[in-house]
Amino acid sequence: MTLGDTIYKWIDERFKLRELLQPIIKHPAPENVISNPLYCLGGTAFLCFLILVITGIFLAMYYKPTPLEAYKSVEHIMTEVPMGSLIRSLHHWAANTMIAAVMLHMIRIYFMGAYKKPRELNWVVGIFLLLTTTTFGFSGYLLPWDQLAFWATKIGTGIAGSIPVVGGYISLILLGGNDIGAETLTRFFAIHVMILPIAIAVLLGLHFLMVRIQGISGRL
Amino acid sequence: MAIAENKKYGEEEKKTEPVRVRGLPFFPHFVLREVVVMCIVAGFLLILASVYPASLLKPADPFDTPSPIYPEWYFLYVFGFLKFWIYDVGPIPAKIIGVTLPMVLWYGLLILVPFIDRNPSTDIRTRKVAVTLGIIALLGVLYFTY
Ligand code: HEM
Repeated sequence: MTLGDTIYKWIDERFKLRELLQPIIKHPAPENVISNPLYCLGGTAFLCFLILVITGIFLAMYYKPTPLEAYKSVEHIMTEVPMGSLIRSLHHWAANTMIAAVMLHMIRIYFMGAYKKPRELNWVVGIFLLLTTTTFGFSGYLLPWDQLAFWATKIGTGIAGSIPVVGGYISLILLGGNDIGAETLTRFFAIHVMILPIAIAVLLGLHFLMVRIQGISGRL
Repeated sequence: MAIAENKKYGEEEKKTEPVRVRGLPFFPHFVLREVVVMCIVAGFLLILASVYPASLLKPADPFDTPSPIYPEWYFLYVFGFLKFWIYDVGPIPAKIIGVTLPMVLWYGLLILVPFIDRNPSTDIRTRKVAVTLGIIALLGVLYFTY
């Protein structure tokens, strides 16, 4: 018996690992799902998400969310922190790839009709995932506090602010005042690293749970 | 070895549950493919990140408006639509429509897709209306993005 087997057996005797794992391991996935690469898009989005979590945690160790220090801290990450440039660039590219993958995933679901009964609610959860993902992008765009970040956010919040009825509130909530400033930056930071991660974790949990219960629709 | 064992298990299940089980076990087949794809994607991201590092422009200056200002690419369609729609409808100014349509109505419509499309078929040949509308929507978003 190898070491791995021994450890497995030790845990298995205590936690009935076999009973827990067996249905997961043997759960059948339709054959064409395994051979057709279009079904990889959801998994790709999820991988990007995992990379974003890890690189994001490292970025948060150096980033400072104040107008005076934000830019300098990002510059510091890019020029002095070991591997800082790689981590930030990975965060950047994983974010863009995730959004592209989510959109393509959604297009696949649409054209394959995979949202039909019984998967209607998973589509709805999916739309909220799309919203959450793009809001991640929007809130992250401001954080480096460079010229583009500042002005793109100014226009973006301006657009959100001119939605009838709710626009004024959205703008106030986002900006934390009448104009972009220190309040806005800390808010966007909190949204980006606290609120949205919790939201997406809940939504992803629901999404995967539903895929698990309902199975992936098998036909092409 | 493991693969052979799982195949056998799959066949046994087929006998008892003929309807649902027409596939290969989640592990290792599905997981293996997923891991392969993930390695490829991760490698691709590493190369992108090393060759094209994320940019950092000049520090923000509230008194100096740069040009051009562009948002992330996935919001470009909102800007594009806002520029395109210059028509007031009755008392509603063009700008309100230009903002509301691509954000509020578009997402509302997306959420309702499974409830609007009641056609139970998943065969692309019998879903002509849904497929046509889908292609139009796709081209529309691409057009406004551009
Ligand atoms: C953070 C974003 C998302 C992640 C990580 C994700 C992940 C996944 C994964 C891994 C699957 C299994 C099948 C596959 O990979 O194709 C799946 C299925 C599904 N997803 Fe997503 N998804 C996301 C966003 C969305 C969006 C935006 C929609 C649609 C609006 C959506 C709707 C669905 C539906 C309906 C299924 C079931 C498909 C079927 O049974 O064939 N998801 N998702």
